[in-house]
Amino acid sequence: MKVSFPLLRGVWFLSILLAAGSAQAVPSYARQTGQNCVACHAGGQFPELTPYGRMFKLTGYTIGQRTMPLSMMGVLNANKVKVNDPAEGKQQDGSPIFNTASLFIAGKISDNIGGFAQITYNNYDAQNSDSGKWTGHTGADNMDFRYADRLIDANRDLVYGVTLHNNPTVQDVWMSAPAWGPATVPGSTGSGGGLLPILADGLGQQVAGIGAYAYWNRTLYAELTGYRTGNGIFSFMTQGVNNDHGPQTILKGVNPYWRLALTHEWGAHNAMIGLSGLDVKIYPDPTDLSTPTDHYRDVGLDAQYQYLLDPHSLTAQASYIHEKQDLEANLAATNPADTIDSLRAKVSYVYHAKYGASLSYFDVHGSTNNNPDTATRGWTPEIFWTPLQYVRIGLQYTQFNRVNGLSSNTDGAGRSARDDNSLLLYVWGAF
Amino acid sequence: MKTATIALILAIAAIGTGCSTTNERSRNLADPSVSGKTLALQVCSNCHGVDGNSVNPTFPKLAGQPVEYFLVEMKEFRNHHRADPAGFEYMWGLSRSLTDRQLDELAGYYVQQKLVADKPTDAGREAAGKNIFDRGVPAKNIPPCMACHGAEGTGNGKFPRIAGQHADYLAKQLTVFKRTDERPEGALMETIAHDLTSEDIENISAYLASHSPK
Repeated sequence: MKVSFPLLRGVWFLSILLAAGSAQAVPSYARQTGQNCVACHAGGQFPELTPYGRMFKLTGYTIGQRTMPLSMMGVLNANKVKVNDPAEGKQQDGSPIFNTASLFIAGKISDNIGGFAQITYNNYDAQNSDSGKWTGHTGADNMDFRYADRLIDANRDLVYGVTLHNNPTVQDVWMSAPAWGPATVPGSTGSGGGLLPILADGLGQQVAGIGAYAYWNRTLYAELTGYRTGNGIFSFMTQGVNNDHGPQTILKGVNPYWRLALTHEWGAHNAMIGLSGLDVKIYPDPTDLSTPTDHYRDVGLDAQYQYLLDPHSLTAQASYIHEKQDLEANLAATNPADTIDSLRAKVSYVYHAKYGASLSYFDVHGSTNNNPDTATRGWTPEIFWTPLQYVRIGLQYTQFNRVNGLSSNTDGAGRSARDDNSLLLYVWGAF
Repeated sequence: MKTATIALILAIAAIGTGCSTTNERSRNLADPSVSGKTLALQVCSNCHGVDGNSVNPTFPKLAGQPVEYFLVEMKEFRNHHRADPAGFEYMWGLSRSLTDRQLDELAGYYVQQKLVADKPTDAGREAAGKNIFDRGVPAKNIPPCMACHGAEGTGNGKFPRIAGQHADYLAKQLTVFKRTDERPEGALMETIAHDLTSEDIENISAYLASHSPK
C-alpha cells in the first residue's frame, strides 16, 4: 500500500503541533503526577496499564496534584479493505483520513474523587443514503467517575471505592476487559467484527453503571455493579450517541454485573486471572416498553500477564465470554435460545517503549437465529513505533479466516472471508 | 430532567471539592500539610513497597537507606539534576512539590525499615562479585566498594546501602555512572565505574543483591 503525501504531511503536521507545546505538554494525568506515560502505561502503549497505573485508577485517579484536567487525542488513518465496498468510500479504500478526535476531561477533583470523561468527534459518523456523503458528529465516549479511598499500613492494604460509568468493563483495570481489549486503536478492525456478546459490545454509552469495588492486599479484587438505561439524570453520559443511529437502548430496571480477579506480582512479572458475569434484560423495541425483554446472561474468564523491566515490555491478555441469549420477545426468532462464545487473545512486545509489535486472535462463534455456526475468526498482527511518548504510528493487518461461519461465499454473493482482510495505517497522538 | 442533571453534578462537585479525605490518607503531592509517612504509604508504596522493599527491580528498595543519601537523591530529582531514565520518567514529577520537611519525614520513615535481600542466583558470579566488593580491582586502581559502602554494604551518610538491592537496579546504575553524566551527584562513582567491565558489573550486582548483612 502506497503511503501518500497527504498522509505524510498529516504526520509531519501532527508532530510539529505536538512538539510546539512545552516540555510539560503531556496528557492531563501525566500533568497531575508529572510522570512520563511509561509510569502508568505498559511500554508506553496507551491505554494498557502497569501495576502502578492500575493503582492510580483504583484510587480514584487521585495521585498527584490537581491540575488543568484537559487533554486531547486525534487519529489519522488509512484503511484498505481487500475487496472494499465503494459505498463506504474513504473508510475502506486506503485513503488517508482524519478519523476521530477526542477531548478528555480527566483528573483529580479532590483527595477521594476523580474521573475520566471522553467526548469524541467521529468524522465518519453517518452516511446520507441518497448522496452517500458522510457527516461527522460529536458525542459522549467512555466515562468513569470514582470516589475511592485506601486503608494501608504495615499489615494490610485495602483500596475501595464506587464508580459511575457508561460502558460495561470500562471501569476495569486489566486490558483483557472488553472495553479496553484488542480493538483499542481507534479505527481498528482488530476485534474482527461479527456479533459479540453484550458484555463486549452494544451497551457502551447507552447505559449508566453504578458499582462498588475493593482491592485487598493487591491480591483480590471484587466488584458489584448495577447497569440501567443511561437516561434521565444519567443522560449526560449518553449525549449525542444516538443521533442517526436509532433510539437509545433501553434496559429493564437495574441489571447486575460482578467481577473477581486474583493478582500477583513477583520480580518484573505480574499476572491476573479473573471471572465476571453480566445478567441484563433489554427491550427489543426501545419505543415500546410493554413487551417482554430479551435476556442475556454472560459469564467471562480472563487473564493477563506482564513482564515490565526496561528495555523490555511483554504483555499478554486473553478473554473468553460465554453468552446465553433468551430472545423471548423476538417474534421472528426461530431459535429463541442462542449462545455466543467469544475468545480474544493478544500478546505484545515493546522495546525501549519505542518499537513494538503485537499479535491478536479473535474467534466469535455460536448459534444464532439463522446460521448453525456464525464463527468469525482471524488474526491481527501489528507493528508500531512511538517516536515521542505521545505519538504512536502503527501498521495493522487483520486477516479473516472465517466470516459468519464460512471461508467462502460469506454473503451469498461470492465474497470470501479474506475479502474482508484489511490493512490499517494509523497515526495516533495525544497531548 | 436537564435541571436535575445539572443540579446533581453541581451537588457532587460541591461535596467532592469541599470534603477531602483526612490528611492521614491523602495522595496529594502538593500539600505541605500531608506527612511524609502518609505519602510513603499512599503513593510511594505503589512502586517501592509499604516497607520499602520493592518487588519490580525497576524501583530500588528504599528500606534502610541512610537519611543523608536519601535526601540527596530526592533533592537531585526535585531539581532535575539526576536524570537517569527511570529517575526522570518516574521521580521528577512526584518529587516536584515535596517540601524539605516532607523529605525529612520520608527519609526518617525509610531508614527504619528492614531491607530484605534477594535469593542467591549464581554462586560463581556472587563469589567474583564479593571479591571486587572486598578487594576492588587493584590492577585498574578500582578501590573496594566496602571502603565507602561499609564492610557489609549497609552504607553510611552520603553512601547508599547497596547490600540486598535489586541486581538489575545496581547494574543499571553502575552503567549510568560508567557511561553517562546523568547522575552528577555521583561524580565519584563515575571515576570508579569507568574501568569496570560489564562482567564486573554483573558480578558485583549479583553478590550485593543476595547479601544479607550479619
